[in-house]
Amino acid sequence: MSIQTPSDFPDTDAATVTGPERPASEPEAKGLSQGQIVRKKFFDNTGAIISLVVFAVVFILAFTSVGFAGIPGWWKYNHTEFLPLVNGGAPTVTGPFSWGDHPFGQDSIGRDYFAMTMRGTQNSIIIMFIIGALAGLVGVVIGACSGYFRGWPEAVLMRFTDVIIIIPVVLAAATLGEAVNRFVGPGAQIWLLGLFLGLVLWTGLARLVRGEFLTLREREFVDAAKIAGASNTRIIFKHILPNAVGVIIVNTTLLMSSAILLETALSYIGFGVKAPDVSLGLIISQNQEAFQTRPWLFWFPGLFIVLICLCINFIGDGLRDAFDPRQKKFSASRAKESGKPAAA
Amino acid sequence: MVTYIVRRLVTAVLILFGASFVVYQLTALSGDPLEDLRASNAPNRDQLIQARTELLDLNTPAPLRYFGWLAGAAKCIVPFAATCDLGSSIQGEAVTTSLSRAMGNTITLVATATVLAIIIGISLGIITALRQYSGLDYGVTFMSFLFFSLPIFWLAVLLKEFGAIGFNNFLDDPDIPPSTIAVVAIASGLIWALFASKSWKRKGIAFVLGAVVAAVLLFLLDLVGWFANPGLGPVVILVTGVGIAFGIVLLTAGLRNRKALYSSLIMVALGLVAYYVVNPVLNAATIWMIIILAVITVLVGLGVGYAMGGYDRSQSMRAAALTGLLMGFLIVVDRFMVTWPSYVSNPRVRGRPIATVGAETPGLEGTFWINGRDTFTHLLLPTLALLLASLASYSRYSRASMLEIMNMDYIRTARAKGLSERTVVMRHAFRNALIPLATLVAFDIGALIGGAIITEQVFAFSGMGQLFVQALQRTDPDPIMGFFLVAGILALVFNLVADIAYSVLDPRVRVKA
Amino acid sequence: MRFGRTSKAVGVAAVAALALSACAANTGTETTEEGTEGEATGGNIRVVEVNAFSSFNSSTSEGNVDINGKIAYATHSGFVYINNDLEVVKNEDFGTMEVLSEDPLSVKYTVNEGVTWSDGEPVDGGDLLLAWAIESGYFNDSTTDDAGEVVSGATYFDYAGDTSGLGLTELPEIGEDGRSITLNYSEPFADYEVAFGLMSEGGIDTPAHVLAEKGGLADEDALIELINTTPAGDPESPVERPEIQALADFWNTGFDTKSLPTDPSLFLSNGPFIASAITPDQSMTLTRNEDYDWGPIPKVDEITVRYIGEAPAQVQALQNGEVDIIAPQASADTVEQLEGLEGVTVEQGNQLSYDHLDLNFSGVFEDENVREAFMKTVPRQQLVDTIVKKINPDAAPLDSQLFLTDQEPYEETAANNGSDAYAEVDIEGAKELLAGATPEVRIMYNRDNPNRLNSYTLIAESAAQAGFKIVDGGLGSSDWGAALGNGTYDATIFGWINSGVGVSGVPQIFKTANGSNFNGFSSPEADALMDELIVTTDPEEQDRIQIEIDKLIWDSKYGLPLFQVPGVDAYSDNVTGIEYMPNQTGVWWNFWDWQVVQ
Repeated sequence: MSIQTPSDFPDTDAATVTGPERPASEPEAKGLSQGQIVRKKFFDNTGAIISLVVFAVVFILAFTSVGFAGIPGWWKYNHTEFLPLVNGGAPTVTGPFSWGDHPFGQDSIGRDYFAMTMRGTQNSIIIMFIIGALAGLVGVVIGACSGYFRGWPEAVLMRFTDVIIIIPVVLAAATLGEAVNRFVGPGAQIWLLGLFLGLVLWTGLARLVRGEFLTLREREFVDAAKIAGASNTRIIFKHILPNAVGVIIVNTTLLMSSAILLETALSYIGFGVKAPDVSLGLIISQNQEAFQTRPWLFWFPGLFIVLICLCINFIGDGLRDAFDPRQKKFSASRAKESGKPAAA
Repeated sequence: MVTYIVRRLVTAVLILFGASFVVYQLTALSGDPLEDLRASNAPNRDQLIQARTELLDLNTPAPLRYFGWLAGAAKCIVPFAATCDLGSSIQGEAVTTSLSRAMGNTITLVATATVLAIIIGISLGIITALRQYSGLDYGVTFMSFLFFSLPIFWLAVLLKEFGAIGFNNFLDDPDIPPSTIAVVAIASGLIWALFASKSWKRKGIAFVLGAVVAAVLLFLLDLVGWFANPGLGPVVILVTGVGIAFGIVLLTAGLRNRKALYSSLIMVALGLVAYYVVNPVLNAATIWMIIILAVITVLVGLGVGYAMGGYDRSQSMRAAALTGLLMGFLIVVDRFMVTWPSYVSNPRVRGRPIATVGAETPGLEGTFWINGRDTFTHLLLPTLALLLASLASYSRYSRASMLEIMNMDYIRTARAKGLSERTVVMRHAFRNALIPLATLVAFDIGALIGGAIITEQVFAFSGMGQLFVQALQRTDPDPIMGFFLVAGILALVFNLVADIAYSVLDPRVRVKA
Repeated sequence: MRFGRTSKAVGVAAVAALALSACAANTGTETTEEGTEGEATGGNIRVVEVNAFSSFNSSTSEGNVDINGKIAYATHSGFVYINNDLEVVKNEDFGTMEVLSEDPLSVKYTVNEGVTWSDGEPVDGGDLLLAWAIESGYFNDSTTDDAGEVVSGATYFDYAGDTSGLGLTELPEIGEDGRSITLNYSEPFADYEVAFGLMSEGGIDTPAHVLAEKGGLADEDALIELINTTPAGDPESPVERPEIQALADFWNTGFDTKSLPTDPSLFLSNGPFIASAITPDQSMTLTRNEDYDWGPIPKVDEITVRYIGEAPAQVQALQNGEVDIIAPQASADTVEQLEGLEGVTVEQGNQLSYDHLDLNFSGVFEDENVREAFMKTVPRQQLVDTIVKKINPDAAPLDSQLFLTDQEPYEETAANNGSDAYAEVDIEGAKELLAGATPEVRIMYNRDNPNRLNSYTLIAESAAQAGFKIVDGGLGSSDWGAALGNGTYDATIFGWINSGVGVSGVPQIFKTANGSNFNGFSSPEADALMDELIVTTDPEEQDRIQIEIDKLIWDSKYGLPLFQVPGVDAYSDNVTGIEYMPNQTGVWWNFWDWQVVQ
């Protein structure tokens, strides 16, 4: 994501007037550095913390169980082996510690569904992060530059955005799928799919960031910073960006979770990740007919999609609230509550 | 401003040229239109391949073929010539024909869902922002993300299973078992409790209240056989109308504005009278008649508000007109409800009113009310699926935007002035919170025409999305280009609208001429 | 007290309203009897199709979509139709097909008196002559270069079917009665029975009087005159035929429509049903053709066709009672789900397409022993068990390269073509044949088709045990077709469609250097038999020759047929008379037997 320097955001409203130093990081009476404030706010947010933990568990499970990048995992099967059907392919998990042979069951030709789901989760997370990082970066840079500089950079960048906006994403993905099939081979398709989707999905974010910048650049503290002699880069990254962080984070996290769904949709119409590799979207749409007869083929990948989406969004929410330099009232009331036992 | 718009439109045309070239090449690269024929063992395989090669002009390289398409498409710009030629699909249908049909279908499907999603989503976002970190906030966030992250075909299967098949089975023998009543009551209680404020005592009261109300309501409806024979009737309309009047006045003018309250109540009374007077006329209703009646209602409402006078006439007028409109809506709803039995027993419907596929019951011929019913029962599920799936983004954005606004200095100032919380929220915060959303909404309306690819597919609804995907699967360039033209032009136009709206809503942002 | 006055006013209004409501409580909301159309005697059946209707002419290459063919089947009549045992059945009520002489082959077609188009015009010799002119490619004189570009002449009627059969006939004459034509073949043609007037190919589907008018001619007689006088096409010396071109132009595109044309002559029927309403891309309604009595009489009055693409959506629509008959894309889960529904009957069977493994007769497989060793490793039973069994419990590996299990000679040929040698996987036998060699085999297949992918995985796994080094040559769905026969692979898995009737398809695949012979199979003996086959008109004799060819193919270690693709259809208990049909006509084949349970 685009927010990489959290440690020294100044408290924008007041601090910039006093000069280019970083008063926030200087020890004051009950002074905390911006980073500390952000961290404290974030860790105070129960929803976000729970989500972070859940997501970490999912992440670790997915990457260690079936291995990653040639490193073998601890799970005994992989997602391509055909195995004899055990228990008619139904899940064998009976409790948290008695998983049985095929905890998530097997698909119709006997592949272990746990291995498939884990591998799919891995791939979906990879796609999600590539899209989030790439689209976030491109969107913020283009949006910020055009919103801040206006004039010809804005005209050029926004018209470029327009061109990208009107090219249907599905078409781009379908064409890419073909190209991958033809030239690259299936190994790299996850990365390329993420890369390519990231390169077309930044447009909404760019426009939103530009909108924020258009408003924010007219604000008093920007004028103040200019008078104080701050450079454009500094104003963009230190003064305006922290104020736009809410919109950026909400948008990027929504984008990341919708990336998983977009991949699902693409798989559904036959243009997403292609076999023999798997993604959550692919296995869920391949088995959509099994909804009533073998629901586990649906529930497990579905559960992971929902888990990832929920976690990402709650984490994003927590980050948003933590970064928002103006958010005082609510954290104050929370601070009061946290004195009580078992609050929240 | 005018120069600005003209300049933007000119660039838009250039953008379309550039992007259409890219899209055409992407389409050509996206597959092999001869795939099915190559692996065919038909005795005349070579002849079929040749015919299709010729039809799609495959021996010309794609970059050159593009100009062939462009030459046809350029004719569309010639005004009044009616020679628009966007090519035709592999099956030989002119793209212009299929586009206009698909557009109509898509708009009927997606428009309601989008508008509802915007209204409900923004309301939820604002309410959750005002109650940040409450149970309500978490609950709504959780639910909206849950719906958001469910694959839509999954949602569709569930909706069909319970909303259509289950409900239709229920209608065969409309009798609600006590266990269902209990479950619904508890669910309703929980929802009420979520909306109640923080203290546990009040939550408890709300829970009990919600549960009891739901249980009693269900029990009564079940008792009088309402589900087989629905309707509102004058009493329910009156009670609901009074509720609406109070609600509207509360939101728009505040209950202390007696004039507004009275004008609204007068509209309720007039509505009840109209319920009897207009009824015979409604038998021969058409959509235009309904629209005209709506306009008359609004005018009467404005008149009543004006007649009531007072220090702030416009508030009374607004409240009365809105109340009148909603009363009219209630009457129309009641009217639709009473056609229910004759709709259900129609031989084409065969007692299974809620449909899982398509846009209409084939061959059904009836009055405005019957056909309206039919459209409703067919659109219900897909609209719901789309609505649920798109709630999250609106509620998230508006929540974020509202939170930001509520911490602004001018909100503090407004409170310090002693304004009521209603005025602060509705007049000062709400409007400003909508500004960043304007971009989002404008975009979504532009993207609306692109259709909902998967929803259209699972509900067998042939709109733009399906047109596009089917053409893509066949590597059929002309329909794809047609789709792209329509979607692209709309996206560009609403892009422009968003920019202009931005400068109108936020006076600090000026559009450079 | 102004507020008081207003309150009073509101109060009075409320009281008035309530009073009104009290005295008029019953008249409050009154519904007129909404027009419930009286249900006609035969009732209405609602059947689901995957694709949307797009043309009233299903014979052009653009209109040649399954749904158009089915509508044509229901709205036209012909001399023969095909039943679900894949036998040719004559419809003598429509007209007669009479073999005047076997050699030279001469067949006379006569339409019965009283058979008419739905506008009252009789179906007569002009219609037959026109059908012949279209389906024989009589006027075509185009030549094409290697790239498929037309270099000279023209193809007039864009007919999607095969013109080679009727191409052997000379210009027929209309009989004295005006209702018959006689086709004289220059050499015996094996498939003559299904060459003309076959109902599943639309029967006699173009009304000559309409085409004459639309194509700018005075009347049907002018059309007959034109066909009789215009020179036959000769690619060597192409000539312009502007009048034929005008006719062909209309025939090629004039009947294409997604909605019901305002001009009824564009959708004339001479069959049991006639189109009465169309909602584009949604549904279509066929109603009984009241005049029709020349063939099986339908029992229902109306058929509504609805287009639903997705299998789960079809199943739920059936479950919700919105439709009566569905034929979804078969999958194990769909079948299981359908079987779990109450009030629904499921029919399972095979389709006419089958998957097969072909080995190239070159490269690593040039050695017959290597081919045989590979064939020994193919786990055909396991493929059937994992891929097909759940959809069609009766499925078994396909044991013939020429016949399908639904065809009568199948048992005989399977018993004697040597296929039993490959019934079981024989890894030891394969190792012996390989004698320690580890040939590298590249298998090409469509990676995007899950069945093919699964077949590949199972075959590769088994072959590896015998020492083969398998290279995954799977390609995406848009590339594999173009790669067929290009020599970049050693073996390939894909599907053929067997028409079920007729033998013209055989040489297309198996004759030396023919269009769809991708693996380089070449046997002079088989070539000679195939030459004989296509001029043999006696069905018994055809079967005998095919059985011989089948054995030659198996003996040459050609590769293996794997399994027939399973199919399924289901219908609600509201209707009866539906029977499974393996060919592309599907459930429609006996639509006249469909009946609503009263």
